[in-house]
Amino acid sequence: MDVGRHPNIRLLAYSEVEKVEGELGSFQVTVRKKARYVDEAKCTGCGACAEKCPTATVDSYNLGLAKAKAIYRYFAQGIPSTYTIDSRYCRNFQEGKKCGVCAKVCQAGAIDYKQQDQLIQLEIGAIILATGYDVFDARRIEEYGYGRLPNVVTSLELERFLSASGPTHGHLYRPSDLALQASLPELEKSCKKSAKGFEKYEKELGQTWQDFYAAYQRGELKGAEYDEWAEQVRLWQRLSDELEKKKEQAASRQTAHRIAFIQCVGSRDIRFNRHCSGFCCMHSIKEAIIAREHDPEAEVFVFGMDIRAVGKGFEEYRNRGAREAKVNYIRSRVAEITEERDHTPVVWYEDTKERQVCTMAVDMVVLAVACEAPAGLKRLAEIVGIELSDFGFVKTRFSEPLDTTRSGVFVCGCAQSPMDIPESVAQASSAAARAAQILTGAETLRLAS
Amino acid sequence: MSSAQCLEIDHPAPEDIRVGVFICHCGSNIAGYLDCEAVTRNAAALPRVVYAKNNLYTCSEAGLAEIRNAIAEHKLNRVVVASCSPRTHQPLFCSTCAQAGLNPYLFEMVNIRDQCSWVHMQDRERATSKAMDLVRMGVAKAIFLEAQRDIESSLVRKALVIGGGIAGLSAAEAFADMGIEVLLIEKEAQYGGLLQHLYRLAPEGVHAKELIEGIVQRVTAKPQVRGFLSAQVVAVDGVIGSYRISIQQADRDVLQETVGCIVVATGAVPFQPDSRYGYNGRSVITQAELEEKLAAGPLDAKRVVMIQCVGARVPEREYCARICCLTAVKNALYLKEANPVVQVHILYRDIQMYGAENERMLWQSRGRGVRFDVYDEQRPPQVGESAVEFYQPLTGEMQMLPYDLVVLSTPLVASSGARSLARLMRIPMDQNDFFMEAHAKLRPLDFATDGIFLSGSARYPATVAEARAQGLGAAARAATVLFKEKLVTSALVAEINPETCVGCQGCLAVCPYGAIGYIPERGICEVNTILCKGCGNCASTCPSQSAVLKGFTPKQLLRQIRAVVNA
Amino acid sequence: MKSQDVLVIGGGIAGIQASLDLAEMGFKVHLVERLPSIGGKMAQLDKTFPTNDCAL
Repeated sequence: MDVGRHPNIRLLAYSEVEKVEGELGSFQVTVRKKARYVDEAKCTGCGACAEKCPTATVDSYNLGLAKAKAIYRYFAQGIPSTYTIDSRYCRNFQEGKKCGVCAKVCQAGAIDYKQQDQLIQLEIGAIILATGYDVFDARRIEEYGYGRLPNVVTSLELERFLSASGPTHGHLYRPSDLALQASLPELEKSCKKSAKGFEKYEKELGQTWQDFYAAYQRGELKGAEYDEWAEQVRLWQRLSDELEKKKEQAASRQTAHRIAFIQCVGSRDIRFNRHCSGFCCMHSIKEAIIAREHDPEAEVFVFGMDIRAVGKGFEEYRNRGAREAKVNYIRSRVAEITEERDHTPVVWYEDTKERQVCTMAVDMVVLAVACEAPAGLKRLAEIVGIELSDFGFVKTRFSEPLDTTRSGVFVCGCAQSPMDIPESVAQASSAAARAAQILTGAETLRLAS
Repeated sequence: MSSAQCLEIDHPAPEDIRVGVFICHCGSNIAGYLDCEAVTRNAAALPRVVYAKNNLYTCSEAGLAEIRNAIAEHKLNRVVVASCSPRTHQPLFCSTCAQAGLNPYLFEMVNIRDQCSWVHMQDRERATSKAMDLVRMGVAKAIFLEAQRDIESSLVRKALVIGGGIAGLSAAEAFADMGIEVLLIEKEAQYGGLLQHLYRLAPEGVHAKELIEGIVQRVTAKPQVRGFLSAQVVAVDGVIGSYRISIQQADRDVLQETVGCIVVATGAVPFQPDSRYGYNGRSVITQAELEEKLAAGPLDAKRVVMIQCVGARVPEREYCARICCLTAVKNALYLKEANPVVQVHILYRDIQMYGAENERMLWQSRGRGVRFDVYDEQRPPQVGESAVEFYQPLTGEMQMLPYDLVVLSTPLVASSGARSLARLMRIPMDQNDFFMEAHAKLRPLDFATDGIFLSGSARYPATVAEARAQGLGAAARAATVLFKEKLVTSALVAEINPETCVGCQGCLAVCPYGAIGYIPERGICEVNTILCKGCGNCASTCPSQSAVLKGFTPKQLLRQIRAVVNA
Repeated sequence: MKSQDVLVIGGGIAGIQASLDLAEMGFKVHLVERLPSIGGKMAQLDKTFPTNDCAL
């Protein structure tokens, strides 16, 4: 919010850097401001458009766990609060389709389907890269079953589950139970539809379907018509039974009680990323403690090779987790995750303390996915003219951790190397210092020492 | 008549007050749950209200323009906005009033969103009536608001850096390059801190002494840097913008200086183990001592055992000191480099090679043949005369490791002078005597006290790169103050009426910011308006109502209460 | 030196902090963010360790 209001900060959201020329003190930068098809100056963020939009899409802020509309706001408290139309889904942008509902309901007249991308030229003295990270795609580890087993989720997805403003309003339901719940309306509809067919037969044959079926079973009625009707009845019976069973299951569902956190998913892994992602151990411990807060009966297990609680207050937090939240730390590297009936995940691991291979059935598995360089960083590095390290992050020198390989361009946060929030914040101030040093003209540029 | 009785007398509102009220719909955030039109009509009928309007978004350009126009057209001298929380847009509305020529302190904000529509979503009628009450209270208070001036205080564009190690030097360098004069105080006879005693630094293998000497030379050569060796700060007084400090240098008179901001970069020291683990300084040494040995020349030892977490992650010192694992692995690599057949065995609890480069070092060291084994914290290794015995979890049996040298990896602990510095500067420490920042996550380099900043191992053990980055960062944080034209703070601070104050010091005891001082010669208390954050503790404590918080005076508050009670 | 403006690429917590520090120092900052709003990963978190504060 401070950023949105500050007179010295020009916020260019929904934009990307396209070209960088020149040098320290006089970079010529081209920024592409992508078309939102909504006028930022007019949009008040009231939300009437999204309410009436007929096109449902997937909510990327909630990691696909919830639905959004083709006209959307990334998240409710976002700055800027302007809405955006995703032209990949919006009907108005598809061949042969038309819509225009949002424009009709917008009181501020902010919708502009004809809006174009804008190319903005900037004269820049120094550049700071703070592009953050992306998470590892856990589907690449097939033996963990992510994407296949419904109750195996990632740490970021769990954040959305735990959040009171998230898709489950903070309740830790198992995704398989959620899916079950979600399937009921469709099933009800099918069931009703199938039952409708009976009316026709009942009229024609002058019997209730129950009497008919009893007679049919006794072999009293023969003929193609009767066969057809009998088939209908059987179909309806099947659907009805399924519905009853699922309703029962859904009614008896509880929140996840036993949760396993698997560390180093995609990190410290010779197949994917050799590096350690720095914060996932703490992240899992935190999620374990909070899961216990949501459910005091929950049993939480953290499966890790080393528990890296190296920051200020972290080891104390880890110990608090063990004491108060009864977090169990198991030194291991999980080999595989399989599934039992009712989508119950089973974790296979070697407990190094007990020197045994064990299995543990849990309600939910949370994968602490690795922190990787964001997908667009390679291209951005080319545009900005800097080198990346062999880990894919921005390359810096040991003694100058904020300086990239191009003078006048600095880096901070996870773009440089995986790190947690206080480190990112501290580094951000450091990068600001570097930029200020260079721009106040008093520094003579230091080349490689 | 008692002071309480005095307050019972109805102070009539001045005749010429003209209040404008703006009720916000906030899209559907407010209007969706209560009747804004009705609240507006109700407001228009309140005493002294000459203008009442509701609009969709008061904080939008259109809404702000309306406020400005209404002030001009209707000659408003009080403005009330009923909308969201003051935390969101109060500064915006205040500056809008100022733009229209109205003193920004004559503005009052009423929260009918967070405190009304959002919590009474199911009860439109009563939410509406509550909003009407809230607006009536706001108007009642607004009538008694007084014009104020922001408080300006002096700003000396100078910085003080306490500590001349890598963090302090980096901070000093940044200040100098930004054109800010900086005093650099170092208690030893030379700059450089811990780096002077280290061997080589991973991952690039640069020699620590060379690195630090280069930095020292570069920094001390800058014209803006005034360095003081063998010096300590002995007194600190004043507030952000003008801290008066006293510097004692060996064999010299005490020097007085005034600076705008202070950076604490006093570092930390390696823990010296007692006889635990058989420490003897010869065959059983610390990592710090190993670094010195390595710097002096190749070692004779053929079999080295390193033990992690000695004196750390134990009940008396719970924290993980972050850098000991990477120091051990780094030194193991250098031992192997000097002599590839040396056996190095590291006994650890968790191997803390966090991040990208450190993890790479771990892979490398395994590749070079360094052995790693876990030990159970309940059964720590026993260091004998010639062998280390430990419980090997992989076999379930005890294992003996004969050695020539045992290296104990001990944590960095707070330096001995840290406590007295904390007292001197009235800055907080945590349970491990590391200085405590304002916010663990979002303000890691700030102290809660304005104008004082923190960096390096004084905050928490840090690597060379981390300490350097933090030093730069602390300088940036200080520069956000020092680059300003002048220091301006809100006028809504406490003041103590010297006529009625009896000097009981009850206010002093409850002030969280140390903003109240007792003046013995006059027997009264006084508020330092620069330090005061306007929390109101003093005003609510004072038995004689001498301490009053501007903008929340008893008169104003009582009017608010009466407005809702007497309705 | 033709310009003293700073370009910050990325509107997560690091980009935001760097922008605010520079802006407070008096520099003009252009903050470019790929997504429709700023906040980055932290906006998707529920609470942060070790204080268990709300992330937003």
